Amino acid sequence: MRLLRYFLFRLLQMFPIALFIVVINFALIHLAPGDVSILLAGEGADPEYMQSIRESYGLDRPLHEQLGAYLGQILQGDLGLSFRTREPVIDIIAERIPATLLLAGTALVLASIAGVAIGAVMARRPGSALDTAVTTLSISLFSIPVFWLGLMLILLFAVTLRWLPSSGMVSIAGPREGLGFVLDVVRHMILPVTALAAVWLGQYVRLSRASVSETLAEPYVTTARAIGFPERRVMTRFALRNAMLPIVTVLGLELGLLLSGAVLTETVFSWPGLGRLIYEAILSRDTPVIMGAFLIMSFTVMLAALLTDLLYAALDPRVRL
Amino acid sequence: MTPTAAKTLRATVASVPGALSLAVFLVICATALAAPILGLPDPADMAFALYQPPSAEHWLGTDNFGRDILSRVVWGAQVALTVAVGAALLSILIGSALGAIAGYFGGWVDGLLSRVFDIFLLIPTFFLILLIVALFGASLPLTIVAIALTTWPRSARLMRSQVLTLKSRVYVQAALAAGAPHWWVIVRHVIPNGIAPIITDGTILMGMAILTEAGLSFLGLGDQNLVSWGSMIFEGQRHLRLAPWMSIAPGVALLLLVASLNLLGDSINFAMNPQLRTRGGAPKRRATTAPPAGETAPAADTPILEVDDLRLVYHAGARRIAAVDGVSFTLPRGGSLGIVGESGCGKSSLGSALLQTMPNNAELTSGTIRFDGRAIVLGGKPVVENGRSRIDALRWTRMATIFQSAMNALNPVTTVRRQMMDALRLHKPGISREEATARIAEVFAMIGIPASRMNAYPHQLSGGMRQRAMIALSLILEPELVIADEPTTALDMLIQDQILGEIADLRERLNLSLILVSHDMGAVAESCDVVAVMYAGRIVEIAPTQRIFGNPAHPYTRTLIGALPSLTGPLEELESLPATDTAAAAAATGCRFAHACPAATDLCRRAAPPAVPLGAGHVSECHYAEDFAAEPSSEPHAAPAAAKEARA
Repeated sequence: MRLLRYFLFRLLQMFPIALFIVVINFALIHLAPGDVSILLAGEGADPEYMQSIRESYGLDRPLHEQLGAYLGQILQGDLGLSFRTREPVIDIIAERIPATLLLAGTALVLASIAGVAIGAVMARRPGSALDTAVTTLSISLFSIPVFWLGLMLILLFAVTLRWLPSSGMVSIAGPREGLGFVLDVVRHMILPVTALAAVWLGQYVRLSRASVSETLAEPYVTTARAIGFPERRVMTRFALRNAMLPIVTVLGLELGLLLSGAVLTETVFSWPGLGRLIYEAILSRDTPVIMGAFLIMSFTVMLAALLTDLLYAALDPRVRL
Repeated sequence: MTPTAAKTLRATVASVPGALSLAVFLVICATALAAPILGLPDPADMAFALYQPPSAEHWLGTDNFGRDILSRVVWGAQVALTVAVGAALLSILIGSALGAIAGYFGGWVDGLLSRVFDIFLLIPTFFLILLIVALFGASLPLTIVAIALTTWPRSARLMRSQVLTLKSRVYVQAALAAGAPHWWVIVRHVIPNGIAPIITDGTILMGMAILTEAGLSFLGLGDQNLVSWGSMIFEGQRHLRLAPWMSIAPGVALLLLVASLNLLGDSINFAMNPQLRTRGGAPKRRATTAPPAGETAPAADTPILEVDDLRLVYHAGARRIAAVDGVSFTLPRGGSLGIVGESGCGKSSLGSALLQTMPNNAELTSGTIRFDGRAIVLGGKPVVENGRSRIDALRWTRMATIFQSAMNALNPVTTVRRQMMDALRLHKPGISREEATARIAEVFAMIGIPASRMNAYPHQLSGGMRQRAMIALSLILEPELVIADEPTTALDMLIQDQILGEIADLRERLNLSLILVSHDMGAVAESCDVVAVMYAGRIVEIAPTQRIFGNPAHPYTRTLIGALPSLTGPLEELESLPATDTAAAAAATGCRFAHACPAATDLCRRAAPPAVPLGAGHVSECHYAEDFAAEPSSEPHAAPAAAKEARA
């Protein structure tokens, strides 16, 4: 009951944010140099399509009416047509989402679990030589440009050692079903997931180290020790359980950052996801796709933030309206 | 440079990662600035053979156009640093200004701006920047502005919270009262004092800006007229198989610069808040000892607790602080002892030593603690018998503690009932769920917590109820000794009284032995038979409660009693103590209290006073204990000492 009310309340709060994002998009299109209709239709679009764009977005009418028309289009799920393929942008994006989810999701799960565990172990011996070394290493990890790390992995494991494929999600002549297909995808995933997870791992180690060491200094941990709980249980039931709260918050706040990492990784590994799509769109100046991708990414981050909020509320009984 | 900034800088450089990262960052800056005079070939000059691997002539090789890569990396540093400094400065400028306005004016201005900060946090900034650059055309200044426009809420939030704490400060209020305009107060007083954490965050911002620019360049949205590391990798990617060195060098440069910035920020942060590095942690393994030979079985009159010459030292950097400095006392079974003293006197450290829950930087250097005749600490070391520490065998079943519950002493994410259940089942693994629930209900009824509140979370209880829940938790396993550490602090007077009354009542009913640690003379007077007064790590006076109030034999006790407001007696002028630096007092050669004592003589400053026994369990560490004891407490304090001087 409490969670449901909280969820609905947070959902309501998302509307102004979504509106704000759409307005930013609208403002950028109108502020950008060049003809708005060209930006909406893409360069070199044929005159008839250009005319239909002018009509559907009401480009001859005053600005506020144009904003209304633009909002209407987006509400209907109409993000325009890709100027390159003439397909609806929304379909192109939807088609690419599963690949991105697979890549980013796997890396996120691996990095967060390993990162939280390593950080928690380090928090048990704060200030030790090992702790300093791991902190330094984790900072260095998230200072690596993820796309460069990807290139180096390709150079080592695909070009030099020839152990793993360097790009794509499936082999060209590989199996298309069954276990063989799954293994093929897994082989293709290893390098991009490693690159992405390595960079995120640094973030999670640091975050978890800070958060767990903070909870270990809390009075309720002293109470637990005075009661006589074994240290392992103090760590899991008291310290980690409470440390999850800030970790989840930051997880929600940094999703945008995570997605940008995924985009760059996909570019390096030619992974057929959203990131690769954005890259192709930039190269061919396909503005409708770039704008559509920005909107979808923003909405995804909002939705994910909403879910994190809900997770937080489920973890922390103190969260109320 | 201000003294704090200089101190922070010294502390930063003192750590290995701090010194290293600062050195790397400065070397990169110097190289970038010196680029024109290093005698390198023009970075755009396609004068050399294509795809040459690193050699003596071209240290980092040449690229697909025959350009010297070393030269391009060095010039690329200029671009990276321009982006870093430009974007961070602009971002901090916008952020601090808006954050300061939001925090300073509060009200709807704050509400509106805070909302905007929050929205920006949810926008995937990299994609927004990407969109801006894709729509407006790739150029370095635009990239810088775009980064600043999407990252400023970071600084704004920091500045806002800084301002909220700063604006109530005296100097800000004084400036306003003197008629200074708001903008002047913000610019002159608020921003300079709140800028420190924002500058620290600035190094992180710089790293983010560099990575963002590199990412954009790598996607082909870099400034075409400049040599940027990101665009070098972008080009190198296509020639990865033929000329891997094209992508390796700029990537290493990026990593070095960004890592040095992030590490530097981290080190500055640690230098400003040293406790971040060492707080918390698992309890460290301490040296243990075997049980002493010839321990006899406890008899009926064996004291429940005996403490002999206990010493506890804190290590703070190179400093050693003797928080408990030779404390001895005996608590008979069923007795109650109050330990009073001002904060920092070592009373809570003493409590934590009895329970062996000291923080890692604390160490027992000597002393024996006996529980029911059996040593649990011997020579400062915990006693281990059959592979198990004796204190662990006593925990909660025979010796429990009541912490101050206002301070999160109960786990905030677990219901009160669940916490009691966990403790019960930990020590009685065989207990059935029904039995456990019945026991919990019984204790709750005894403490006076309505059964309907059993499933409440700690935050759902009032302060008084939460404290009762803590007491219930401590009593769940029927311990013989309860150590209560400031159990009523932070509660209002009426509730304090109630809770103390309940503790005293429970003690009688359950035949508990009690140690009550408090800063409040009144609190211990109500619930304890014996009172020990602690000052600077020592018990300076111990006596039965009646006696210590009637005939206090230590001038410090007299000031404590004098500081006790009387509800019934005439309103007198309260005596207040000068603030004590306990560490300094403990290090003094003579009497610890001499520096603040109204009756101190040369003898007091020269020689530490002996423990003077005054009969009936009354002991005082004062050269003039007998004279003080002879005076009832309402007499002026200086009199006995003066009289003794006169007689001598």
